[in-house]
Amino acid sequence: MGSIRIPSPRGAFRVWQRNATIFRKYWKSAMFPNFFEPLLYLAAMGLGLGAFIQQGGINGQTYVQYIAPGLLASNAMFAASFESTFNTFVKLRIDRIYDAITTTPVNPEDVVAGEYLWAGTRAALYGTGFLAMLTVLGFAFTPENPLISSWWALLIPPMLLVIGVMFSVMGTLFTSLIKRIDLYAYYFTLVVTPLFLFSGIFFPVEEFPAPVPQIAWFTPLYHAVNACRGLANGPDLAVAGDVLWILVFTGALSLVPVQIMRRRLVS
Amino acid sequence: MNTETRTKRGGVGEKSTLVAHGLRKSYGEFEAVKGLDFEVFPGECFGFLGPNGAGKTTTMRMIYGAAIPTSGTLSVVGLDVRGNERAIKRRIGVVPQENNLDDDLKVRENLLVYGRYFDMPKKAALRRADELLDFVQLTEKSNADVSELSGGMKRRLLIARALINDPDLVVLDEPTTGLDPQARHLVWDKMRDLVREGKTLILTTHYMEEAARLCNRLVIMEDGHIIAGGVPEEMVEEHVSPQVLEFRAAPEALEKLRPVLQEAADDVETGATGEALLAFTHDSDAVLDRVRRSGFTVENTVYRQSSLEDVFLRLTGRSLTD
Ligand SMILES: Nc1ncnc2c1ncn2[C@@H]1O[C@H](COP(=O)(O)OP(=O)(O)OP(=O)(O)O)[C@@H](O)[C@H]1O
Ligand SMILES: [Mg+2]
Repeated sequence: MGSIRIPSPRGAFRVWQRNATIFRKYWKSAMFPNFFEPLLYLAAMGLGLGAFIQQGGINGQTYVQYIAPGLLASNAMFAASFESTFNTFVKLRIDRIYDAITTTPVNPEDVVAGEYLWAGTRAALYGTGFLAMLTVLGFAFTPENPLISSWWALLIPPMLLVIGVMFSVMGTLFTSLIKRIDLYAYYFTLVVTPLFLFSGIFFPVEEFPAPVPQIAWFTPLYHAVNACRGLANGPDLAVAGDVLWILVFTGALSLVPVQIMRRRLVS
Repeated sequence: MNTETRTKRGGVGEKSTLVAHGLRKSYGEFEAVKGLDFEVFPGECFGFLGPNGAGKTTTMRMIYGAAIPTSGTLSVVGLDVRGNERAIKRRIGVVPQENNLDDDLKVRENLLVYGRYFDMPKKAALRRADELLDFVQLTEKSNADVSELSGGMKRRLLIARALINDPDLVVLDEPTTGLDPQARHLVWDKMRDLVREGKTLILTTHYMEEAARLCNRLVIMEDGHIIAGGVPEEMVEEHVSPQVLEFRAAPEALEKLRPVLQEAADDVETGATGEALLAFTHDSDAVLDRVRRSGFTVENTVYRQSSLEDVFLRLTGRSLTD
């Protein structure tokens, strides 16, 4: 048993830089699906389903206004989850990229930290594009009910970075435990999809009887959705509580995949 | 020639590049490396020769920090492997047994991105990458995808990558396995250039010829142990007689021949596949004479000088390349 390893920021940055170098070549084709998917949800649920939801919407917002910020949060979850599952698995076990990196002064713990940061960056990049689009669409089509209505929304991109890191820690934990790539079906079906559906993006979970709101409180995307919604609609002190939850959860979990991944790379 | 390089570079008072004492590595119940002692001096090319599963890669991995010794001591470039992981990796270059080039990057980018892991300034990395591409004769492939390279080219790129940080010690795990003779000779030339530049090389191989040509000194490994070591020519002298006669015939005929050879030659061994008898001798004419007189037809007999391959056969009763 080795001692607990703390990543070096410099090593982590080198790994982040490697991913950024590659992303710079492919970003146009990589970005498109991530950009397009939340728009599909927005159209189908917001405009389609929203048309049948009674006048008055939710909490005084139209349905499309209600779900748009939540989709920013779930988009960050999907981006970071793909990065920390399939992409990380390939680099770890198939292309053996991490073996090559860890023969240099960059250690396994730096690799994991660099991947967290990269997943967060990617989540923030995608989310910022989507945020810009939501802002423009909102003011263009329904200026009386804009989708993004507050300057506080400028804090959404850094928030998405933090959300991305949180889901990267979770995805990396799963990756560090599995030997076969097909096992990700479990992760996406049992973790990612339920979070997407039941974290208050599409309906307010708080208004359900106990223990639904209490269960939601223990799940990560719920707080990410609250934070994005709070920032999109103007100053809301409750956001601080959600951000704190996210930081504590991420911080507490982050070193676990680091130690397990180290054992995958150093025998 | 070998002796000269060694005394010049590995003279008294110079710090060893690599020292192992009682080095062991277990994976669970299984012990892959069972107590190695060796020492490598600056400027040497030092070989680990052995068959599949002998523990060569495990030993290399302990040197570059990808495996942690279970017991014993190992120091690399003067530093204990325990607690000096980063400092050691900064000063060594590694050519792994399995290709792990970055397929998402072009040939030249592979070197540049690797240079960044060593915190090389961009300008220095650019200069070094171009020098190295020239050195391994891949300049015209600079902007090619890694997937477009042949196996030999990938090996050369791996060698270039291992040199990006101008390491003191280069670890090469089977640098020529799977290459055709021409590609193999090119890699050998590059390795000789490196030794000439004063780098210390350690390499693993199961090609006797490779070890004999390149290594100043080597150890033969089998089943996690070092079973012999020294300067290649001296090892051959020490363990086997200088001449070998290989007799090929049907098994029954060989069995009749065996007692004749046992009397006439210094040593007799069964060849790798069991279809030949090897007679080690100082006087092949005398042995052949005796065999002819015994009535055995000697048409299928090969005469050659003894080699490291024979040392391995003598020590283990097995062939190195199966
Ligand atoms: N991670 C591991 N877990 C369990 N056993 C291992 C591990 N790595 C190596 N071994 C075992 O240790 C022994 C030595 O393996 P090693 O790879 O060092 O041999 P080698 O001399 O490099 O062989 P080759 O010429 O085939 O490359 C083998 O029996 C192998 O199965
Ligand atoms: Mg090996």
